[in-house]
Amino acid sequence: MFAYVESLRMALSAIWDNKLRAALTTLGIIIGILAVTLMGTLISGLDRSFEKSMSFLGRDVLYISKHEWFGQEEWWEIRNRPDLKVDYIEKLKNQSKYVIAAAPVAMRSVNITRKDEMAMGINLAGTTPEFAQTAFMNIESGRFYTEGEDRSGARVIAIGYDVANALFENENPIGKKVKIGNYVFRVVGVTEKQGKFLGLFSMDNRAIIPLGTYQRLFARRGWMRLDVKVDDEHIDEAKDEIIAIMRRLRGLRPEEKNDFAVNQQDAFRQQYQTMKIAIGGTGLFITVLSLVVGGIGIMNIMFVSVKERTKEIGVRKAVGATQGSIMRQFLLEALFICLFGGAVGIVLALGGSFLIDKFVFPSTMPVSLALISLILSSVVGVVAGLAPSYKAARLDPIEALRYE
Amino acid sequence: MADLIKLTGLQRYYEVGGETVKALDGVDLIINHNEYISIMGPSGSGKSTMMNMIGCLDSPTDGTYEFEGEKVHEMDDNQLASIRNRKIGFVFQTFNLLPKLTALRNVELPLIYANIPKDERLELAEIAMDKVSLTDRMHHKPNELSGGQRQRVAIARALVTNPSIILADEPTGNLDSKSGVEIMDVFDELHNEGNTIILVTHEAYIAKHAHRTIHILDGRIEKDAQNKTTKQRKQPSKKKATL
Repeated sequence: MFAYVESLRMALSAIWDNKLRAALTTLGIIIGILAVTLMGTLISGLDRSFEKSMSFLGRDVLYISKHEWFGQEEWWEIRNRPDLKVDYIEKLKNQSKYVIAAAPVAMRSVNITRKDEMAMGINLAGTTPEFAQTAFMNIESGRFYTEGEDRSGARVIAIGYDVANALFENENPIGKKVKIGNYVFRVVGVTEKQGKFLGLFSMDNRAIIPLGTYQRLFARRGWMRLDVKVDDEHIDEAKDEIIAIMRRLRGLRPEEKNDFAVNQQDAFRQQYQTMKIAIGGTGLFITVLSLVVGGIGIMNIMFVSVKERTKEIGVRKAVGATQGSIMRQFLLEALFICLFGGAVGIVLALGGSFLIDKFVFPSTMPVSLALISLILSSVVGVVAGLAPSYKAARLDPIEALRYE
Repeated sequence: MADLIKLTGLQRYYEVGGETVKALDGVDLIINHNEYISIMGPSGSGKSTMMNMIGCLDSPTDGTYEFEGEKVHEMDDNQLASIRNRKIGFVFQTFNLLPKLTALRNVELPLIYANIPKDERLELAEIAMDKVSLTDRMHHKPNELSGGQRQRVAIARALVTNPSIILADEPTGNLDSKSGVEIMDVFDELHNEGNTIILVTHEAYIAKHAHRTIHILDGRIEKDAQNKTTKQRKQPSKKKATL
């Protein structure tokens, strides 16, 4: 028992005697641990923001579009596909068992002005009131436009949170007028703040007007998406059914390929999983690499330490140290160098995580990873220390005492 | 009671470059409790091997070595470590103190391997330091001590486990003559207190402190005799002082 405590004390004082050397040696371990914990933090943050982004796309909403979201098709094939039409919506709703709501969405980028203020690069969507059901957005103040306004082509507009802030700093925007080009719109609603989609574009940087108005003022034809909300217990069946209906609408023969795409959230999930594996794999590779390099560094320094202390080992053996106690002393030394590195790595990672959380995206360092890191570094320490410690333990006391 | 040390037909051969070096070539020797012995011989005679063998640092190629009845020649490394720890105190020519530890810590060292609790260790170490009259230097590191003081620390370290023998290898070899005399006085005193002391030396005047001198040549005992010329010494009153 005392022997263990003493081994520990001796190991620690040996490290203390060579502080700088131990600190430098442990760099590989520090980097390894830093890599694994920061990677964990990064993935946790990505997970969080991914899930948040995914909430913008309902799990039970299918997006019918000309192109697949992560498709492999050639661009000319997609270009040759016919545009989607507004009247598909009614037909889908009539022919499908599963469709709950459906909205056509046309989109373009515009600048919105009010007096001297201008909001640039706003995503203007032209859609029907059912968009409120398919799009997972809430109206913060005011209202969404009505069926009647849609049909009559009223010049009403719902604006995103950021747009409202940009144009109406300290005013209530409801009922006020804004201009898109030369057309005047009346603001009827402001949508709730939603944040960015996958950190790419803001959901608050958009404006929505009735589809009829959109087509009259901006474009009759062109890119369009159909957002279809379906029964969330039969998503797969709904998807098959919608594909069948679309093929019929398009008059496709059985041997012809689909000339449209039915996208869903899963496409993002799969894509994200792939990315996560890539990030995780890279992180793991860096970690393993630096831990191995770190381990070799520790082994090297331990060999040096054994060599330097040959005489000491001889003295200790002469006064009664067994092979076991010498081995233990050096193993503990290697272990503690690694644990020290692990601890420094975790402290640095905590700092890094804090910065990521503050400046990149909300994230937390997983505690389990910190523990795994410490265990990893102990394993590295013991494994790296084995050969040098064994060598020390096996030294012939006579040779060791004679060593200068 | 068994003899303290009993060597019978002890051989230690080394293979050096394909040749067999007979460092010890059939040594028979009995050492009793409370003897004061010097081992002499020219370099290469085998006296270092003899010292390593008696100190249980080395194992014989052939022959038997019994230490207080324990068969040393049959022991494994851990048993040898244990007997060194309990029964033998080493004093080296170059002191061999650990430079990073204070004098007291150096003296404490063998007790660590004897698994003795810390408080008791420090107490025993202080008693040993007192025996070599160095209580005022306990917290100095070796490089803050003179050669003679260092050797006294080393002697305290050898004494601290209350060993059966103290083995000193050229203990005055690295000291000036004045310190050398002081150190030899310490050994004489220890012997008078009942300790068994073996000195390995090639200096005749050092050897004369002992009561019995063993001359070694070519791995054999050439001469083993009581020192008649030594001045009258008082015989130790008790067998062995307990620490």
